[in-house]
Amino acid sequence: MSTSIVTWVGALVTIGAFSYLFKENVMYRTIEHIYVGAAAGYVISVGYQNLLTKAWRPLVNEGHWLVIIPVLLGLMLFGPYFGSKLSWTRRYPLSLIIGVGAGITIRSAVIEQLTKQLASTALPLKTINNVLIVAGVLATLSYFFFTFKPTRTLTGVSEVGKWVIMITFGAAFGNAIMGRVSLVIGRVSFLFGEWIHLIKQ
Amino acid sequence: MELIRKLGEVDPRWLYVLLVLVVLIPMVSPIGLPINVSAYTSNAFALLDSLKPGDTVVFDFGYYVDGAPDVEPIAVALFDHLFSKGVRIVCVSYKNHGPMIVDKLTEPHVKAGKEYGVDFVNLGFLAGGETALAAWAADIKKAYPTDWKGNNTSTMPILQGINTVADFDMFVFYTDDSAEVWVRQISQYKVPIIGGLITVTAPQAEPFLQSKQLAGLLVGLRGAAEYEKLMNKPGTASAGMDAQSMAHLMLIAFILFGNASYFIKRSKGLAGKGAAK
Repeated sequence: MSTSIVTWVGALVTIGAFSYLFKENVMYRTIEHIYVGAAAGYVISVGYQNLLTKAWRPLVNEGHWLVIIPVLLGLMLFGPYFGSKLSWTRRYPLSLIIGVGAGITIRSAVIEQLTKQLASTALPLKTINNVLIVAGVLATLSYFFFTFKPTRTLTGVSEVGKWVIMITFGAAFGNAIMGRVSLVIGRVSFLFGEWIHLIKQ
Repeated sequence: MELIRKLGEVDPRWLYVLLVLVVLIPMVSPIGLPINVSAYTSNAFALLDSLKPGDTVVFDFGYYVDGAPDVEPIAVALFDHLFSKGVRIVCVSYKNHGPMIVDKLTEPHVKAGKEYGVDFVNLGFLAGGETALAAWAADIKKAYPTDWKGNNTSTMPILQGINTVADFDMFVFYTDDSAEVWVRQISQYKVPIIGGLITVTAPQAEPFLQSKQLAGLLVGLRGAAEYEKLMNKPGTASAGMDAQSMAHLMLIAFILFGNASYFIKRSKGLAGKGAAK
């Protein structure tokens, strides 16, 4: 059995978290609160580190005065916490964040996710894979075609599209189960390997 | 018939106990089921194996610790592989758990003689999500004037001659999220991108592989086990593969029992439209 305090704490927290599967209990609730507190503490420490290296040191130690602009914009986000009269201060940094974020994302999304994906779907129908990809995309798109009354052909194609979507959901769900089982394996490996040394490492 | 009907109604808590046992037993005494290497993993391995000593690669950590059991074995295997080849690794973090994860994963390599700032560096977490990723990709030293420990990046040996993400030989990201952020912001730099994804989000990334926006894809614990097999170095992921296969068999069996139980009950008018409310 492990003699490390860290491993013991990890093991007890894991067992406490798993105990919820049996029934909600005090141990689970305690661990839930500790987890939230620890996660918040970690985020604060990372935030502090970022403030120190990205704002305080450049401004105070290195004399980069332009850093004062993002620092002020950041402080303006806290305005509403000092009374509703200061709630307007949040609008300007938020507008900037949303504007810059949208600009960076939309520009790349159009090129990388729309144009290049369209180009890569225009495949020569020489292999079964290519035929399946092209037919699957067209059938799926036809399923979401709502602009006019569906004809018999469109209904038939959109029915194929529905099946393509359902098969995709099935594959995604299978992968989801596989991923969740991996998480269980990780915890079981920790409990019976690192903690009580039943599994050979 | 009665047994199948009852199995479909079993208390879920028994299933949890059974799942833990089904996972535990093959880990205590391995069965040794074969691991078939997929084309995705072998392509990614071939790309990473083609790197030469002195090449520099980015490892971008975009997962939280709760997703680690599925994606972290990939990072462990790639650290082992690339460090054994003398490749240098620059670690950045898309999510705030990243710096802590990097410290944990590099610790054994530091003990084995890898030098911080020369063989690898932990640049830390940069707040701002996709905007931050776009910023450091365009000018790494401007976005990261110091590393996670406060060292100046402009004088760091590992970052000499590196200004944008295009100066790296390869870009590897690990995520418990989708691959779209990296495709949007990094693929314009023409650096080969390899994604290490949790199993849940991997299907969404496959179109990017087909369009060659991603050069390679490593999927969850299974991808890590396949990678370990190609390295001839079985590790934690390989050890978990028997357990995963057995757990899948158990889940398939209970999905079948559940459906069989439902149809038996429906035939007796106890379930479905005809069931008494």
